[in-house]
Amino acid sequence: MPVWQSIYEELNDDSFEIISVAQDSGGEEAAGFIFDDAEVTYTSIIDVNHHISALYNLLNVPSGVWIDEKGQIARINEGTYATTHYDGAFGNDDYVPIVRDWVAKGADSAYVWDRDKVKESIFLRSDEAELAAPAFRLGSYYFNQDNDVKAEKYWTIAQELDPNSWNYLRQDLQYEEGGSAGPEWRERRDRVEGAGGSYYAPLEIEDGAAN
Amino acid sequence: MKGIRGIAILLCSMLFNGLIYAQSAVVLYNERAVAIEQTLPDATELWVKPQDLTRINDFVLKPEGACLAELCIPVLQDRDSDMYVTRQNQGWFNVTGLADKLQQAHMADYQDGVWSFGVMPLERQAFFGSGQAPDFSLPDRDGNLIRLSDFRGKKVLLLTWASW
Repeated sequence: MPVWQSIYEELNDDSFEIISVAQDSGGEEAAGFIFDDAEVTYTSIIDVNHHISALYNLLNVPSGVWIDEKGQIARINEGTYATTHYDGAFGNDDYVPIVRDWVAKGADSAYVWDRDKVKESIFLRSDEAELAAPAFRLGSYYFNQDNDVKAEKYWTIAQELDPNSWNYLRQDLQYEEGGSAGPEWRERRDRVEGAGGSYYAPLEIEDGAAN
Repeated sequence: MKGIRGIAILLCSMLFNGLIYAQSAVVLYNERAVAIEQTLPDATELWVKPQDLTRINDFVLKPEGACLAELCIPVLQDRDSDMYVTRQNQGWFNVTGLADKLQQAHMADYQDGVWSFGVMPLERQAFFGSGQAPDFSLPDRDGNLIRLSDFRGKKVLLLTWASW
């Protein structure tokens, strides 16, 4: 978060905006201080219903989407850390340079995808998984009504309907013993990665001239 | 006695009707949580007055059907159908029936009368078809409504993250 703020200040470009959306059912209490600590000046949203992940078919955080001046997507569904964290345990330094390149060159940036590449990069959910979003929304409604029994019920249904979503799993685990990065998450992640899958959405940067 | 009995029956029937028509609901759609004062009781479908339909999802009931901008789903209104019925001179519209026609996912807690609707597929035709960014409207931390479409003419880096 502080890294994105410094990049935002560095670019300081009226034709570029960051919209940062916290997928946090706990609202201000859960996520507000993180925005505050980073003294963020770009557009900041706390999305208690995970609406953006539902709308753009994103499964994990962080995820990034590039949207051009006409509202056309130029990149989507990528695990987008601004830098490396915990001595390289996650994140990398590869993404920020290509954002700089895009802001400078726009459609001429080598990192802008064509429509076919964008279309094939959108994650496709099954009809059953589409039902997970209204289920999760019900759970978040009850969570914010302090009805933990029903919150748990509908958040569990959401996870069953959309087992690909790390957001639904970890949001729920945050409020359970073990937490969002505890044994249950570890076990799931190991299973996915052991089967050759990827925990974060892939970040494959084309060879280009972003130097 | 007859008179008293008659009044009792009348009171009972008023109470009964009152109970029936007082069944309330909460409808969740996008960022909205719309409180509906009266619904037509039904075990599995959500029937609301036409004006409440608009509060839920912006669809407007017109003579030609339920309409949103250019789109109109035909709805017969001079007789009962699976989309619209008239009871005691009040018309009721089937919101879940419309959702099914639009292939919009929905789920309800019937016990509490809380209904939750997913994204309408028609909102995302251009997303899947040509990679157009689906529009959204969410409050920022100061309560201002942020619409993606307000950023036309700018490049937007949309980032998700979480505290957990």
